[in-house]
Amino acid sequence: MDFLLIHLLNSLLFASVLFLTAGGLSLIYGVMRIVNLAHGNLYAFGAYVTAWAIGGVLAGAPTPLLYLLLPAGAVAAALLGAALEPTLLRPFYKRAEEYQLLVTFGLLMILEDLMRLLWGPYPLSASALWENSGSVTISGNPYPNYNLVVIAIGLVAAVFLWAFVYKTKFGVVLRATSQDMRMASALGIDVNRVYVQAFTLGCFMAGLGGAMIVPRDSAVLGMGVDALVLAFIVVVIGGLGSLEGALAGALIVGVVRELGITFFAEIELAVLYLIAVLVLLARPAGLFGRP
Amino acid sequence: MGEVNRRDFLSTLGVSVGTALSATAGAALPVVGVAHAQEKPKGNIPDTPFKIGHMTFFSGPAAVLGEPMYRGQLLASEEINAQGGLLGKRKIEVLKADENAGTDANVKELRRLKLSEKIDFFCGITSSGNTPALGPVAEELKLLTIFVDGCTDLLFDKAVPNPHYIFRVTNMQSADGVTAAVAAAQTWPKAKKIAHIHPDYSYGRNAFDHWTITFKKLMPQAENVSEGWPKLGTTDFSSHITKAIASKPDLLATSVWGGDYVAFYKQALRYGMFSKMKVASMIAFGVAPHAIGKDHPEGIIAGVHSNYHFTYPAGDRWPYNKTFVEKYNKRFNEYPNFQAEGGYTATYLLKSAIERANKLAGGWPEDDAIIAMLEGLMMAAPAGYVYIRPDNHQGYKDAVTGFSKNVAEYPFPVLDPDRIITIPIRNITAPPGWPKGEPTSTYTWIDKTWPKVKA
Repeated sequence: MDFLLIHLLNSLLFASVLFLTAGGLSLIYGVMRIVNLAHGNLYAFGAYVTAWAIGGVLAGAPTPLLYLLLPAGAVAAALLGAALEPTLLRPFYKRAEEYQLLVTFGLLMILEDLMRLLWGPYPLSASALWENSGSVTISGNPYPNYNLVVIAIGLVAAVFLWAFVYKTKFGVVLRATSQDMRMASALGIDVNRVYVQAFTLGCFMAGLGGAMIVPRDSAVLGMGVDALVLAFIVVVIGGLGSLEGALAGALIVGVVRELGITFFAEIELAVLYLIAVLVLLARPAGLFGRP
Repeated sequence: MGEVNRRDFLSTLGVSVGTALSATAGAALPVVGVAHAQEKPKGNIPDTPFKIGHMTFFSGPAAVLGEPMYRGQLLASEEINAQGGLLGKRKIEVLKADENAGTDANVKELRRLKLSEKIDFFCGITSSGNTPALGPVAEELKLLTIFVDGCTDLLFDKAVPNPHYIFRVTNMQSADGVTAAVAAAQTWPKAKKIAHIHPDYSYGRNAFDHWTITFKKLMPQAENVSEGWPKLGTTDFSSHITKAIASKPDLLATSVWGGDYVAFYKQALRYGMFSKMKVASMIAFGVAPHAIGKDHPEGIIAGVHSNYHFTYPAGDRWPYNKTFVEKYNKRFNEYPNFQAEGGYTATYLLKSAIERANKLAGGWPEDDAIIAMLEGLMMAAPAGYVYIRPDNHQGYKDAVTGFSKNVAEYPFPVLDPDRIITIPIRNITAPPGWPKGEPTSTYTWIDKTWPKVKA
């Protein structure tokens, strides 16, 4: 029982990062009806930028300053998203979905090579933040403080996002466009602007997920694809296009993964897919999806 | 089999601890060292370049462990070229291929290297996931190959049971799990509860199996209380670490490697794991030495894949190592790991076999002549004597491991020079002629021939 709280915190930690990546993927799909296969690499891009900033450029700076720079990766991913949507994605909205999949898949590969070109083939680490943050004692066992920071950022991001989508005028416009793009357009909403804003926000979330995790994990090539697969499991469970679904899916996956590792070590990798299969059988559109 | 005392049995295994150089029976065999002076070749030798295809991890978390094997081969090739090339004529060209592309892509790349680039020799490979796929293809292409690593027993037990063109230089994988377990049994004989964290693929499974069978014999009082099987390449071990700590073990056995291990130990430090249990790793110090920080805990069994650590054999007692480390450090401004030694030694094994074949027949030897010379070849390499067994084309050298320690001379931890553990390889691997077993020949050999010691 000593470890119940630690297991719970581990689950929340995993869920926090998952929610940010899967939430971004879902938001973009909800508004623009695009399955962005390059989404995982925007997460990786955020991780690389933050690792580069706090592990390379400002290595040795005091810890509070490093914390301030943590979101650098999120901002960079958002800027990249803001540039990509109008140039690369917009010409393909009127085409069949296959084209969008091909374009975003191509983007996935280009981004992977771009990161290799910019930051080299080796893992890029920013572990000072992880190492300097120390541990707190939870029922006699040390627990890394940095994990608590990540969980807190995840919670704040979820609340902020909910307020943004449900309590602001921009949120109303976003939801209106999501429900009926033609009608929104007829009512005078600048759909192109909403699209670029939604895409930028989605990329910001992915980049933030990568930036938060990099002090613990270091940035490595291929991390984007792994994150994409996990994000897909979350949105399959929660329902593609739904932020509530992404939150519920992330929490379910976080808890199930922890239970899987603890009690079914032999099939750790399979457990998440089994959950997704069960949800698909019971509710093909996901828990919060619109059938 | 009568009852045997643990300490007596360990001494029959020849396990030695300390600075002494372990004795090997090999001195009686005709032994040549790396970089020995070359006799004048016989016959006409063409001066076309000798092309080597070298595949290892040049990117991703595995690169800190795998890439040095390329540097080892490059260093040996440059030394050979400085003397005019193989047989004084054929300069070596090394072509690189990135193993990180994935097994299917690696198989295609191997075919391309042979068919389009017309390589004469294939070398490299880090992952045990790749040799069982590449080995049969190299045989099919009739491509002379020395794998540096990818040391799964499966390759010569099952995938290519009767190899002709392919060889492998670093110790067989089963030796790794056995070495770590023997070292742990000797160091912490009272340990009862064992936790495991291994990557979930052939290497991790192999390490777990051989540790477990060795402990069944040497530590009958011990039991496995926790298992964690993270995906290879993962950098998040929070849950596996928590599970291991929660099982309150005396000892953790782990075969997590490369960049994964670097992330693992940094995370485990913040969870206070190292203060709650002893740790024995098969391959913690297998990475390039500078990849591990001074924050790494001391006193854990920090394995080097049972192959080689650059600090051993030390000093002037084994000049092959001293000069290798000096040259490698001068050339690359870093210290070699076991893969660098493997790549270097593989190149010199090839050179030696080519020269022997030339001495017999003259001219540039056929591949079959080189193969016949490689079979049964023994050579003094930086790590010690390495022997290529003729029946399974596998390299054998005495196994080595030790304890992590920070010393003033290096900016990273090394193996404690006063507590190096060595084990004669013949005592921990199945002998020639032992029937192929499940999961490995070494496993069934230990199971059937080792006594169970008194608890």
